[in-house]
Amino acid sequence: MIGALLFSLALQGQPTLLTSEPPSIVAALTHETVEIREDFSGQELVLYGATRGMTIQDEIVVVLRGPARDLRVMEKQRTFGIWINSAPLEFENIPSYYAIATSLPLEEIATPESLAGSGIGLPATLAIRAAPTAAETERDIRPYLDAIGRAGSRNNLYAEAQRGVEILDGGLFRATISLPPLTPVGNYVAEVYLFRDGRAVASRSASLRVEKAGLERFVYEFAHDWPWLYGLFCVVLAVLAGYAGYLAFNRR
Amino acid sequence: MLFSSNGSSVRPRASPAVQIYLPIAEISVNVFVLLGLGAGVGFLSGMFGVGGGFLMTPLLFFIGIPPAVAVSTQANQICASSASGALAHWKRKTLDLKMGLLLLAGGSAGSILGVQLFAYLRSLGQIDLFISLSYVGFLGIIGGLMFLESVRAILRRNAGGARRAGAGGGRRRRTWIDRLPFKMRFPTSGLYISVIPPVAIGALVGTLAAIMGVGGGFVMVPAMIYILRMPTNVVVGTSLFQILFVTALTTVLQAGQNQTVDIVLAMLLTVGGVIGAQFGARAGRHMKAEELRALLAFMVIAVCLKLGWDLVVTPADLFEVMQHGRGGL
Repeated sequence: MIGALLFSLALQGQPTLLTSEPPSIVAALTHETVEIREDFSGQELVLYGATRGMTIQDEIVVVLRGPARDLRVMEKQRTFGIWINSAPLEFENIPSYYAIATSLPLEEIATPESLAGSGIGLPATLAIRAAPTAAETERDIRPYLDAIGRAGSRNNLYAEAQRGVEILDGGLFRATISLPPLTPVGNYVAEVYLFRDGRAVASRSASLRVEKAGLERFVYEFAHDWPWLYGLFCVVLAVLAGYAGYLAFNRR
Repeated sequence: MLFSSNGSSVRPRASPAVQIYLPIAEISVNVFVLLGLGAGVGFLSGMFGVGGGFLMTPLLFFIGIPPAVAVSTQANQICASSASGALAHWKRKTLDLKMGLLLLAGGSAGSILGVQLFAYLRSLGQIDLFISLSYVGFLGIIGGLMFLESVRAILRRNAGGARRAGAGGGRRRRTWIDRLPFKMRFPTSGLYISVIPPVAIGALVGTLAAIMGVGGGFVMVPAMIYILRMPTNVVVGTSLFQILFVTALTTVLQAGQNQTVDIVLAMLLTVGGVIGAQFGARAGRHMKAEELRALLAFMVIAVCLKLGWDLVVTPADLFEVMQHGRGGL
């Protein structure tokens, strides 16, 4: 199926290479929905796309952004020999997931200033989202933002794949992005940019939904929609399990 | 869109490894790790006759379960393990129901208080520290006392079979416990004491159950023996009776208020625990009581030192990122 898809894309892209019409870009993800079931341990996604009017100097940047979360970041300080969380700062609308894949290392595609201006790349995104917090505090928020970056990288929720975008013939490209086991549920946005001379000249977005399914979804909804009933159910199940253990013990 | 995506949702690749995604903890863990943890802690709890919550909860932290979920889920698991023990003692009538109900009354109040305190500290971002400090404090004191007591017992035995002092009821010294008001008769235990100490002990244990994810047997059993001076044959049954109901209440409160009970995690740990406990009980029969207590004391102190060390040693990351109102990032 993917072969046919690529073939039709190839037909579409071929003649445009020679013309000099304004650049444009299209893209789609192999999945529109990712289901988290009891056996979920991560998932690989492929984003396919095609460009029109792409030249040899052009580069592709693909960003997949997860649902926004509010975070609290605290700095550990030693008090009486014990490390205690203190000096909290709160950040709103921080993406829970942020993956970037590029056809060249990002710093070779555009300058940090240009990226900051267009909000592409994790440092630029965090800086923009943290602006309200920065306005409220007199503290230096950079170490806090670095900590958010480190925490995300540790869980593979923030990832950068240099050369993660493969440029194929005829203006086609393919990016592989992996969702880690800790993937948060919610709405994701994939953005694809065509960079020329250090500037994004065309962009396109596609959406993705990550949701719980099957037993996962049933338990999660039960626990959140009828929490007290769920608690009673857990107790009944536990007592039954204990009773079964008691019977197994006494049969001997 | 230029080309059609097939639009259907795609199931993630089937994993040959036995990873299971926990619906409430929201992480993926190896099934055998959970069954193994359950069996290992179950083995020790069967061998020593303790609940094992004080070992399991820190172990769950170490494998990455968010502390709030670990503590609440442990309450549910202990509920299962104490149910089978309590039933056995009920059948054998080695259970002081009246004393158990008093301990339970205190325990319920403690559990309600503990769940509130837990939610409050979580909102401040200090729950991990508080849990660790509680563990270090309680395990340090209990482990230290148990260790001294068992060493003394071993030395006494080696010195030549002198009978344990203070065993007979008549020789019991009067303490401040006997001067407290609201006295009540406990026929099963053969006691006539104030209701204040049992209610207070129950409340302390209920609070611990909610905050530390333990049954609290390691506090309650020594307290019943040394403070209430209950006869040892009803101590374990009565303690299990109280633990069963307090952990049941804690489970419902944590589920209802904080939505942090993971039934899948609890059941996997329970299955491992039931099997492990049987082998543990068999292994324990070949060891002497004092030696078992000394070994248990060593383990309690080891967990205490590990958690204490983690509080003091410079952390790998000096910043902590927390999701608002939920566990870690």
